[in-house]
Amino acid sequence: MRSFAPLRMTRGILLLALTALVCFLSGREFLSMRETETIFPGRGLTATRALSDYFPALKGTPGDTPVYVYAGPKDGGNVLVIGGAHPNEPAGFVTAVVLAENIRAVRGKVVIVPRANASGFTHSDPQEGSPQRFPIATAAGERWFRLGSRVTNPIHQWPDPTIYVTPTGQTLAGIEARNLNRAYPGKAGGNLTEMVAYGIMELINKERIDLGIDLHESAPEYPVINAIVFHENSADLAATAQMELQAEGFEFRLEASPPNLRGLSHREWGDAAKIRAILMETPNASHGRLKGRPSIELIIDGKDKFYEKAARLGRLFVPFGPDGIPLRDRVARHLAGLRAVLAGLTELDPGKAVEVEDLPTADRVRVEGIGAFLR
Amino acid sequence: MRTVYHLIVLYLTVHFLWYLVREKKFWKQAGIVLVLIMFLLRLFLVE
Repeated sequence: MRSFAPLRMTRGILLLALTALVCFLSGREFLSMRETETIFPGRGLTATRALSDYFPALKGTPGDTPVYVYAGPKDGGNVLVIGGAHPNEPAGFVTAVVLAENIRAVRGKVVIVPRANASGFTHSDPQEGSPQRFPIATAAGERWFRLGSRVTNPIHQWPDPTIYVTPTGQTLAGIEARNLNRAYPGKAGGNLTEMVAYGIMELINKERIDLGIDLHESAPEYPVINAIVFHENSADLAATAQMELQAEGFEFRLEASPPNLRGLSHREWGDAAKIRAILMETPNASHGRLKGRPSIELIIDGKDKFYEKAARLGRLFVPFGPDGIPLRDRVARHLAGLRAVLAGLTELDPGKAVEVEDLPTADRVRVEGIGAFLR
Repeated sequence: MRTVYHLIVLYLTVHFLWYLVREKKFWKQAGIVLVLIMFLLRLFLVE
């Protein structure tokens, strides 16, 4: 039987102490990703709730997340705006924050969930080397925002199945079990991601939402980009919005939600909740496959020489030049899309009109920057 | 499932600790440290 040599033991203990030190230092970094940025809702806010108010089983879980309600004095329709379904898509989340910090509802109601997959904000995608957060300059100084992962944190939901079967029977790769935008309409007793999706469906029912808008980004090499993806019940709305956007100089392609691609918001919100369902995509180089070194600058400025080369080779679905596609332009695009969709809703269904004031215009965001509209 | 996860990680962590103090060669001990760091972070659900 082997006996312990004193030297070996001493060395082992010293290495253990080093292990503890590294665990402490790296642990602090990882735990800092659980801090949430402060959102300062504007004076138009009429109620702050939590997703668990609509689905109590989420209370105390990492899936619970704030919900901001802006109800106008005049009757109208009810609109839901989701950001942060994929926390590695900053323009969706930041646009929702800009909305929450600025708008006032005049007619109807707007419900905003800026951090739809709250768990996804608590970690980053492994092996990407992504920054944990990025700053936006405001008049009052820098504000930081988290860059999370596309999916729920695996310490909140484990293990991934080999094959994930969505609540509506679609089979996907196992990791998609943690993708909120594959989990709709959710399951009350399902995994955490399915419970969050279920909570959002409950919110849709209880707030009597008429139109749901899900804000996303996609990689420039991805074909569904600069797009409005619509459920067939929103085809007229999408077309109306596209015409208005084209008149403003925004090129948006229309993508019909494939009926056999289940689990996504633009499919299941329409099928299960019978609401108009729209999803919008803007181009984000920072989560594409062709990017160079990940950095805060890539997120904010959207410039990347490899994407420039890919554009010259005709490999992208959007123009990509030396100026890149900065975050402010992507947020501006989302804001323009929102404005056009709300205008289209008013035109097509006046009884369900939702009118808001102080919605920042795309031109102003592009010129003045996002920070001009953050508190 | 969280309990199962913890038991698996705890079992492996204890084994790594045992090997760490028994291993003769320094570079093998250093290698164990690299793995042990990740397992400790997982054991305490930090990452």
